[in-house]
Formats: sequence, C-alpha cells, structure tokens
Amino acid sequence: MNPLFGSSHIARRIVTAAAWLCYLFLLVPSLIVVPISFGNSGQIEFPPREFSLGLYRQFFTDPAWWGSMVQSLVVAVATTAIALLLAVPAAYALARSELPGRGLLRGLFMMPMLVPVIVLGLGLYLQFSNWGLLDTTAGVVLAHVMLTTPYIMISVMSGLQHSDIALETVASIMGASRRVVFFRVVLPQLGPAIAVGALFAFLMSLDEVVVAYFLTGTDAMTLPVKMYSSIRWELTPVLAAVSTLLTVLSLLIALGIIALQRKTEAHS
Amino acid sequence: MNAPSAPAMVQLQGVTKRYGEFEALHSIDLSIAKGEFVTLLGPSGSGKSTLLNLIAGMIGPSSGRIIIDGRDATTLPTNRRGLGMVFQNYALMPHMTVFENIAFPLQVRGLSKDEIRRKVTGVLDLIQLGHVAGRKPRELSGGQQQRVSLARCIVYNPALILMDEPLGALDKKLREQMQLEIKRLHAELGITMLYVTHDQDEALTMSDRIVLMNGGRIEQQGQPDTLYFKPETVFSAEFIGSSNLIPGEIAAGEGGTVTLKTALGAFPVPAPDRPVRPGDRGVLLVRPENMMLTDRADPTSVAGRIEDSILLGGVVRHFVRCADGSMVIVQELNQPGRAGARRDETVRAGWTMDHARLLPPPPDTTLPNTPLSAG
Repeated sequence: MNPLFGSSHIARRIVTAAAWLCYLFLLVPSLIVVPISFGNSGQIEFPPREFSLGLYRQFFTDPAWWGSMVQSLVVAVATTAIALLLAVPAAYALARSELPGRGLLRGLFMMPMLVPVIVLGLGLYLQFSNWGLLDTTAGVVLAHVMLTTPYIMISVMSGLQHSDIALETVASIMGASRRVVFFRVVLPQLGPAIAVGALFAFLMSLDEVVVAYFLTGTDAMTLPVKMYSSIRWELTPVLAAVSTLLTVLSLLIALGIIALQRKTEAHS
Repeated sequence: MNAPSAPAMVQLQGVTKRYGEFEALHSIDLSIAKGEFVTLLGPSGSGKSTLLNLIAGMIGPSSGRIIIDGRDATTLPTNRRGLGMVFQNYALMPHMTVFENIAFPLQVRGLSKDEIRRKVTGVLDLIQLGHVAGRKPRELSGGQQQRVSLARCIVYNPALILMDEPLGALDKKLREQMQLEIKRLHAELGITMLYVTHDQDEALTMSDRIVLMNGGRIEQQGQPDTLYFKPETVFSAEFIGSSNLIPGEIAAGEGGTVTLKTALGAFPVPAPDRPVRPGDRGVLLVRPENMMLTDRADPTSVAGRIEDSILLGGVVRHFVRCADGSMVIVQELNQPGRAGARRDETVRAGWTMDHARLLPPPPDTTLPNTPLSAG
C-alpha cells in the first residue's frame, strides 16, 4: 500500500467533511423554515407540535400576501421580457460589431452590477420622485430591468463566444441579409444562453428587496418587501410558508438553469 | 490558361489591403475565367486567405477594384455577391438537419417548397448522401460534413465557389478521395472555383491554374506543369516540388547557353528568357528526379560522397554531400535487384543540361528592415 496514497486519501476525506459542514451551515437556516411552515399555531415554533397546511391557506387567502405575490410575478415577468429585448441585441452588437467606443459601452451596460444596490436604490428614489414613478409597477420594473440587463448580457455574450462566427459569415455569403442571419442563425443557437439569462433575471427580480423597498409603498409592494416589513412589524409564521414557496421556486429555476447549461455544453 | 478571350468571372485590379503599417496584399492583378479552377497556393501569411476574404466581401480593399461577373463588387455587401464558400471547419448550422442546411440558401432566395425539395434531393443524390438528410451535422463524419457543405454551395449554383483549405481537417486518404470528388463536381457542373491551400500536392492535383503567393504578392502563376517545370524564382522552385539549388555567378554566355561559375565548378545552363550579363548572380536548379548517379565526369555533374540513401517505395533518394559541404539530392526509380545503399561511396551526381534551369538570385532578405521584405 502506497503511504502517499493513504495520506492523500485521508486528506481528501477531511476536505469532503469540511465541504459538507459548509454546505450544512449555508443550508440549515434556509431549510429550517420548511418544517416551521407546516406548523399550526399563531407563532413561529420549531419543531412544530402538529402539522397542517394552515399557514399556506392563510397566505393564499389574505389579499395583502397573495396580492404582493401577484405583484412580484407581474414585475418579474415584465422585467424579464424588457431586459431580454434590451440585452440580446445589445450583447450581439457588442460582441460582433466593430463599433468605436465598444469597450466604453460595454462598461456602461455592466455598471449596474458594480454600483452598490443601496446607492442605486437611493439614486432611483430621488430621480423617480421627480418623475412621479414612486410606488408604481412601471417604476419597479424599470429599476429591475437596469439591475438584470447586465446578467442577461453576460450569458448571451458567452453564448456568442461559443457560437462560430463562420456560421454567420457563410450564411451571409449564401445570400442571407443581416436580419435573416440574426433570426435564423444566431438566435436559434443562443436559445439556451438566452433562457439561462432570462431565468436569472426572473429570479433576481423576484427576490430583489433593497431597490424595491426604496421605490414601493402600499400600492406596488412586491413580495420580498412585504416580507421584510412583516418581519419588522408583526413576525407572523406565514413568513415561513412564503419562504418555503420562494425557496422551492428558486430551486426549480436553478435546476432549470443547470439543465440548460448542461445542454449547451453538450452542444459545443 | 489565362485566355483573354474567355469572359472573366472575377477580376482584381490593383487590389491592395493594408492593416495599419502592414501591407497584407500589394496591388494584386488577377483574372479568373468562367469555369476555371484556380488555386491560391502559398505559405501562411502570404495573403491568400486575405485575397479570398476580399472577394467574399468579408473585408474591403484599401485600394483597387474587385469585379465579379462583369459587375463592380468592390463595395457590394457579402450577401449580394452571389458567391458560395466552403470552409475548413465545414461551417454547417448545428441546429439544422442536413436537409435544412442545404435548403437554407434556397429559402433565402425565396424558392417554393416543392422546388426546394426537388433541388435538395438532387444534390444529395449527387454527393450520395441522401440517406443522412434527416441527421444533424454533428452525427456525420468529417468527410460527410464537408460533402454536405459542398452540396450547400452547389445547390444554388453560385457564380463562383470559394474554398478555404476545405480538406485541411481530413486525414490523407479521405483528402485524396475528396480532391477527386471536388474535381469531378467541377468538371460536371462547370462552376468557377477559387481554392486556397498551402498543400502543393493538392494544388498540383486539382488546378487548371496555380497562383503562387508570397509575402502579399503573386510570385508566379500558370498551369501546374509550368510551375513545376519552369519555376521563375527560387521561391517557386522550393515551394513546389523539391529542388537542388546551386548558387553562383554568370561567367560567360554564347548562343543558347550560359556558364554559371559556382563553388562546385562551372556548369553550362540553357540561357533563360530574361536577359543576363556576365557578372550577374544566379541559381542553378535541377530537380532531384532529373539527377542520376554516374561515373562519368561530365561537365554537368558534381562530385560527392553518399551520406544516406532512403527507400520511398517506388523511388530511392540519395543524399550526396559535396566538397563544399552542400547537399545534393538524387532521386532514382527503384528497380528489383538494384544494389542497396552505397553509403560513403564517392560518386558523381549528374544531369542533362536541358533539365537545368537558371533562376535569378533570391531577393536579399538579410538587409534589415527593408519595407519590401515586410511580411
């Protein structure tokens, strides 16, 4: 038996154990809300004494909760749609054209990723109060489009890097106009990259709390903002049910993203 | 082959391409006749791919004009030049089936569904790949993919098909098979083809005319046998086929013969077409297969010692080291019962005068930073 092999074997076990501890440390606080959400009492308790779906019933029947959930979904869908329309053409232009000042433009598009969200929130608050966009769906959507566009662009640009530029050249030699090249050659290949970007954008918008907190009041309140204020003012166990629902939704979307990325890798 | 009467499919007039200070192409004039198979041959960086990209319209010339099928195409967008192109990496659309790939250029041209089906089926039969019509390109072998990519060009009958090292990614046997297939398609369809390669054998096999490029210029052009038997420069001689080159100085000339004085002796050479004067420098070229081992001390022979003999199947190559240290290669046909390698034997390598050629000296590339030697 090789002693070196033995020691590296032990080292690997220690590393594995450490990794699992980290995972648990990260996961347990999120997972603990799951059993709590199935409890049946007026307060948060762990472990719950009896199991029921009462908290979920409460969530889906209270218009204050249910309404903000719908509001969040509306904002997330609108954000994703608008951000896609902006980010996909922008990414294509930045990746393929020889536009002067391309680097500067790319920097500008990426800026919202670098500016602290709280600063962005404050800035948007001051600006939107002049424009009468405070506490409107349009205002939140606009802000979220800003936040999510760079992420879609990154995903699409990396997709473009994987797609062979010769395909666009050959299509154009065969007589295809730029429009045909974009819709019949570029877009179909970018499908998975665009879907990944869109899911990211949807997820980000769905649980974005800082900017939405600045921009919304009672009318346009999104679910995370509602949760945040609920934590501060009432601390109801419905929060556990909401958290569980959000976690499941995020998990599903994350799995979707992973599946899509696998598919892209298998392609290239 | 550069027949002026045949209508030109492509004409380049003084085409120059500069990238900043670097001149990738120096004022190229080139005419390709309808139906001709022309090969751009040259080492990498010689400008052959740049020339192809200029004709395709992927880049624009710094100066000069490009005329395609009688129409000034210098500033015409790529998609309106009516060309076809075959790439080394096939460039088939991965998200389309073989059928859809070939149908694409027809759809772009707005043909009816029935017509598209008929034409695609026709070319699939022509390349004998009808059975894979429903497959995706990645399910095909490299050779099959390249045939599909050829079919995708042929199907819409472009004025000119450009091929950028189309067989570079295939193994030797498949490459030779595909060379014949491309030649067959060219002969059957009569499409003008401009083929780029750095492989001299491929150029010799396939072309009506070879355009040899060197450093952004046309070094020499002509039919394959002209380039092989009558190279005009040392570069041409060395790039196509192998060659024995003996540098020297022209001593005298009378009638059709001049004498070249070299470190290995003075040799009579047929006078070249260009005027030469005593005192000019020159290089003597004899192809290895035109040399033979001999005992006679002819004026057209050099003395040396056999350093090595290698068997290449049908032929044997002798490497003969001469007195001044230079090497002469003698290639003889292999015969049954022929004596084996006579290593270290002192021999003479001889040739007949008609097989020798006097070339001008190569441009002096040792001069530092001359603008002409750039690239």
